[in-house]
Amino acid sequence: MNKKKSGNTSRVINFKKLLREPVLLLSILIVFYLLTVFVIFPLFQVFKTSLTFEGKLGFGNYIEVMKKSYYIQPFINSMILGVLTATIGTFIGFIFSYAITRTPMKGKKIFRLIATFPIVSPPFVIALAAILLFGRSGVFGGMFGNIYGLKGLVLVEVIAYSPTAFLALVGVLRAIDPSLEEAAMDLGASRLRVFRKVIFPLATPGIVSAWLLVFIQSVADFGNPMIISGDFSVLSVQAYLQITGMYDLPRGATLAILLLIPTVAAFYLQKYFLSKKSYVTVTGKPTAATIKNLEWYIKLPVYSLCVFFAGVVLLFYGMVFYGSFQKLWGVDSTLTLDNYVQMWRVGKGYIFDSLIIASIVTPITGFFGMFIAYLITRKNFPGKNLMEFSSMLTFAVPGTVVGIGYVVAFNTTSAIMPFTLTGTGLIIIILLVFRNMPVGIRNGVAALQQIDPSIEEASIDLGADSGTTFRKITLPMITPAFFSGLVYSFVRSMTAISAIIFVVSGKWNLITVAILGFVDNSQYAQAAAMSLLLIVIVLIALGLIKLITDKLGQGMNSATVVE
Amino acid sequence: MRQDYLVLKDLTKKFGKGDAVVTAVDGINLTVKEGELITLLGPSGCGKTTTLRMIAGFHTPTSGDILIDGDSVNTLPPNKRPTAMVFQNYALFPHLTVRENISFGLKVRGDNKEEIIRKVDEIMNLIGLNGLADRQPRELSGGQQQRVSLARAMIMEPKVLLFDEPLSNLDAMLRVSTRLEIRKLQQRVGITSVYVTHDQEEAMTLSDQVIIMKDGLIQQIGAPVEIYSHPCNRFVAGFIGKANFLDATIKDINNEQLILDFMGKEIIAPHWNKSLKQGDSVVIVARPESVIIDEPSEDCIEGTVINSVYFGSQMLYEVKITDDLIFRIEVADPQQHIQYSAGIKVGLTFKDRSLHILSAKEGAL
Repeated sequence: MNKKKSGNTSRVINFKKLLREPVLLLSILIVFYLLTVFVIFPLFQVFKTSLTFEGKLGFGNYIEVMKKSYYIQPFINSMILGVLTATIGTFIGFIFSYAITRTPMKGKKIFRLIATFPIVSPPFVIALAAILLFGRSGVFGGMFGNIYGLKGLVLVEVIAYSPTAFLALVGVLRAIDPSLEEAAMDLGASRLRVFRKVIFPLATPGIVSAWLLVFIQSVADFGNPMIISGDFSVLSVQAYLQITGMYDLPRGATLAILLLIPTVAAFYLQKYFLSKKSYVTVTGKPTAATIKNLEWYIKLPVYSLCVFFAGVVLLFYGMVFYGSFQKLWGVDSTLTLDNYVQMWRVGKGYIFDSLIIASIVTPITGFFGMFIAYLITRKNFPGKNLMEFSSMLTFAVPGTVVGIGYVVAFNTTSAIMPFTLTGTGLIIIILLVFRNMPVGIRNGVAALQQIDPSIEEASIDLGADSGTTFRKITLPMITPAFFSGLVYSFVRSMTAISAIIFVVSGKWNLITVAILGFVDNSQYAQAAAMSLLLIVIVLIALGLIKLITDKLGQGMNSATVVE
Repeated sequence: MRQDYLVLKDLTKKFGKGDAVVTAVDGINLTVKEGELITLLGPSGCGKTTTLRMIAGFHTPTSGDILIDGDSVNTLPPNKRPTAMVFQNYALFPHLTVRENISFGLKVRGDNKEEIIRKVDEIMNLIGLNGLADRQPRELSGGQQQRVSLARAMIMEPKVLLFDEPLSNLDAMLRVSTRLEIRKLQQRVGITSVYVTHDQEEAMTLSDQVIIMKDGLIQQIGAPVEIYSHPCNRFVAGFIGKANFLDATIKDINNEQLILDFMGKEIIAPHWNKSLKQGDSVVIVARPESVIIDEPSEDCIEGTVINSVYFGSQMLYEVKITDDLIFRIEVADPQQHIQYSAGIKVGLTFKDRSLHILSAKEGAL
């Protein structure tokens, strides 16, 4: 009894303290309002819609879904796809990260660059390349039989998402102190035994978490299956087709929920496994002495796989490049610039819309994300956990679900959102801000956790209020993380498709939607040309922001530029 | 001079909820005079830092009151409190120069620009930071960073200056000279200060009063000399300096002296604690420097040297009396004495006036 009471009093005092900082209190309330309207409300609406069957509330849609293989099949297919992609992708990612962190392989930088390429490029470019390579009129047409379907989809998604596993695992393997390996070998263990008994067990939580990350991305992927899934129907595409093709919102929403459940479950499992890796030792600079003389039977397979995978990635992107200059794909291979001319004529508007929207979205996401990261790591207020949960939610939720949520939630006015947003540029901006924000928040939280809280305490102790402390002390110190958040936000704003496709309109349209349109019309060469243009824009932006970050971030803790 | 400049009343801090409540500070009471420097001393987890952070406003007390110059500051946020803190890791703003660091608080307060420049120059001069105004914190040595941190807090002219183990990141030599400087500076400016440390030597040399804490409770409050010569229980005796503890009984009492029985030998000790009675079990606190080591003889406690370490200015012996009782003995100026090596039998006697007697109850704590 007593204990409880005292807990309450100090919470009351915390709240009283908050009342003394009206600006802080007001901004917390605004953040909560925005998160409620643009994160919680759309998801809630998807749930509600999925429960509406023939005008009444109920589980009718789910019963329907369970009964008809027509609906349950996409679910099973998505799971199969997710498991296959995640397993193969994590394997490749692990070998790659092993090669980078634990072997004296030459040209590590180049391998790294190639491996991270699929992350910054639009997600469906690989599918496009697969069609150019193995499609009906492709260079190696018919070599693997029909490329449309599970086989092609797994191939494409493995290339697209094993870099995710690679990046996650590089961190994990790097954190394992090489002196552990040395100790084990010193005690008489062979290299293979060291791997089995030391490295692998230490990396297991990281491997599981990487697997789950790839699984989520694969299940939530929309662009690649849209292009290459053929008769192999998956949830994201089916949900989209139900809504845009059949105008059946309840069924689309139900499929979206079926898509949401495994991904969100996987997301929280992943967070759990990530939190378990605490026993990984971090001891200053790793001294990697043992990697100097590695046995050939380890080097050979590891190097071969790296070279092979890098080769495949280069082949795919090279094919997009090559394809963009061909007169008529598969018929007339004369090199020409016609595709670019035509792409520009048709897609000019899309490109400008994309650039305008991305340049509005990027700074808003950056500041808003940093502010939430600051509130979460540094402030105490009621509902803090709820704020963290809801602001990270859009990261776990597949884009298709978010997109459907925005359609349902903002088609009409409601008590908490008095304007209709559908069809405006604003809805695209808002969607992108809230969808890209979680990574900014995560970067911000990581950067803030590195800064000793006593530095901010010192500022407050010297009389500065929260706002002044944030502007004068915190913000300058997290600049690098802030800019890397900007990079991510810009890249994603330019390359996003799954959620965006639901909210674009005749007035506001985006470059990725245009590329998908070209593919739909089998204008592969124009699609390739536009994809290349998009990649170039993204690379220029990355370079620019890196320049700024290097200038600003001198002597400060630098954060990784790309996730 | 106000006698109750800083007052802590029944101050309590509990962390956690439900069954996992940890009481970090358990209803402590403390009064600090204006201009005094007091030290909160104790092992880690004793609640000293929590107490300091409650005074600064970074922790909200679960119950109890904090008064500074007569006013309760409980509900004031840290930025409105008349306190300034010197942080353990200095907490210098890494992106600001030394001058910008020191003037930060004055700028926030909105002081006049020329006034700020004048004050910063003055304090940099006082603290010995001349010529470093435009440096970045990372270009300074540890000692210099520590001074900037001190200057940044002192320039605010706080009613209470708070120190959170400010010397723990300095090397041993620098620590000694810096703590002397802090003491001189504090006395010159006459600023009321609360100093947290786990280093008993630091506490002894710095403070007007030492507050010994353990498990969230104050064990003893007193001037350094008082705490060293009259510790209130076994914990304090062992924490401040080193001590040998001997279980004995009171054979006889006269006005000035206790006559004690220890393993059949008679030991004389000063009679401070008047509540002790004949026949009581007591614990003798004998500091290592209060034990005299000599050739074995009739009235001495006999033992065998098991270890001897030469420190130059002193000699440290470990002498085994029984299997459970090993004496630590320090002999100053060892060149003037016979030196005993391991295995040699010796006789021990005491410098009577330096002994301190704890009741059985105090001796158990």
